[in-house]
Amino acid sequence: MLTLALDTATGVCTVGLVRGGHVLAEYDIATGLTHSEGLMPQMDQMFARTGIKKEEIDRIAVSIGPGSFTGLRIGLAAAEAMAYAWQCGICGVNTLEAMAYNIPVEGVVLAPVLDAQKGNFYTAFYTWKAGSLLELQPVEMVDADTLLQQLQAQGKPVLLLGECKKLLERELPMGISVAPEQVRMPKASSVALAAEGQEALTGEGVFSLRPYYIRKSEAEELWEKRHPKA
Amino acid sequence: MEHKDIYILGIESSCDETAASVVKNGREVLSNIISSQIAIHRKYGGVVPEIASRKHIEHILPVIDAALEDAQVSLEQIDAVAVTYGPGLVGALLVGLSAAKSLAWAAGKPLIGVNHLEGHVFANFLTDKNLEPPFLALVVSGGHTALLKVTGYNSFEMLGQTRDDAAGEAFDKIARVMGMPYPGGPEIEKLAQEGNPKAIDFPRAMLDDPFQFSFSGMKSAVINYLHNEEQARRPVNRADVAASFQEAVTDVLVQKSVLAIKATGLKEIVLAGGVSANRALQNKLAAAAEKAGARLVHPTKILCTDNAVMIACRGYYMYQAGVVSPWNLNAVPALKLG
Repeated sequence: MLTLALDTATGVCTVGLVRGGHVLAEYDIATGLTHSEGLMPQMDQMFARTGIKKEEIDRIAVSIGPGSFTGLRIGLAAAEAMAYAWQCGICGVNTLEAMAYNIPVEGVVLAPVLDAQKGNFYTAFYTWKAGSLLELQPVEMVDADTLLQQLQAQGKPVLLLGECKKLLERELPMGISVAPEQVRMPKASSVALAAEGQEALTGEGVFSLRPYYIRKSEAEELWEKRHPKA
Repeated sequence: MEHKDIYILGIESSCDETAASVVKNGREVLSNIISSQIAIHRKYGGVVPEIASRKHIEHILPVIDAALEDAQVSLEQIDAVAVTYGPGLVGALLVGLSAAKSLAWAAGKPLIGVNHLEGHVFANFLTDKNLEPPFLALVVSGGHTALLKVTGYNSFEMLGQTRDDAAGEAFDKIARVMGMPYPGGPEIEKLAQEGNPKAIDFPRAMLDDPFQFSFSGMKSAVINYLHNEEQARRPVNRADVAASFQEAVTDVLVQKSVLAIKATGLKEIVLAGGVSANRALQNKLAAAAEKAGARLVHPTKILCTDNAVMIACRGYYMYQAGVVSPWNLNAVPALKLG
């Protein structure tokens, strides 16, 4: 099975091709170029370089969040359009879970974090056991203090992944460290691997995929605050 | 040589409508699918960009699928994908643009980035099959007010624009101050039908430059009038306010259009943009243009507001001219006209 994967949830634009668990290609750009500009040229160049034909693709794996709202929509719109054009399946993958596939190592708690603005982070905790990824804590939005408290309570060494720059401005408690740079951010190959166990959506099911925003838009939150009974 | 039919798939998501359409040979509408979000934004009193973007991503592929289905044309048969890349709300534009780029790339078709405002002008080619450049265009929408000389299918000359507010913006603002639901333009027009357009003499800014517009002074005058009457506890005839305001806006638009007709000697003028649906403007401009020796063309109601038919039509003429956009085409929220 040949999977085309993409992740545009963060500042990194990453596309990749994975066949039967083997990474055939991965192309990551983190220079601050917008995903809108970069995504399609990156795809085009990857296909040209690998010689893989578009019609060989069996399924698309796309990171659907949490992450930047606009980034998620760029990736999902592109992924859905490809699945529609090629009439192939599509898998939506949790961005945080996919990052845990960057470090398939037992004995540590993996804590991918993404900047949720206003001092908050989207996070979830995972650990690997006997070749399987276990979720220790589901996805939620927390502030930095809560996050660090939760991590300290794990009683195991913790590796932070993702957008942890704002966390690094403070002193990290003992046992909490940051994953190496080259495996810290989303990777398309991990998105493809995380999708392997999933059943792909096909036909009109392709249209049912939605970004995993977690948060409502500010306008909705404000409106609900002003209209508590509605 | 046998003539080959050209099928363009148009995609539009610049504001609060998700739309797709297939147009044959630039002038024949095979499908026109519009998923409108007006009802969703009404309770917020205007378009909320993040909510608009969230709705676009839900609807974009189903709308494209319906457009191809309705047209009975397969993706394989499409010659090019035309998409709005500006002006508009950046997050909204990016949904349609990302889908269009990916679809075109995946299907091996050329991509054509279309200026939304040029699209509005081209809506007239679908209303009037005989229309051909050169002609004048009065573009009036929530974001723009401009007089444009369309010298060819791919050449435009800007005569003048608004210095401040767009005409449609003034309509929406006055409607909001008067407590009308969004979108305000059609509400003002409805109320104006019951009022006296000569009741209140709101200022008309004609400016030194014959083709430039300004509506902010007029807008403030209407708001001040409403406040003053309220403070003096005098009852306001709302229909008269709506009618007099609409009269002032349309007076300026029509007078400047007539000046442009006389200055250019062109025999046709077209209306474009959301405000072109206003019947008072259509009637007044048609009469004044005729007197000045020109004919007015305006889009049918469904093509006055945002749609993808006009994007496909514009895309067709760009395709014929050999225009192809690169895969790194980005959204340009403040894209200019002309």
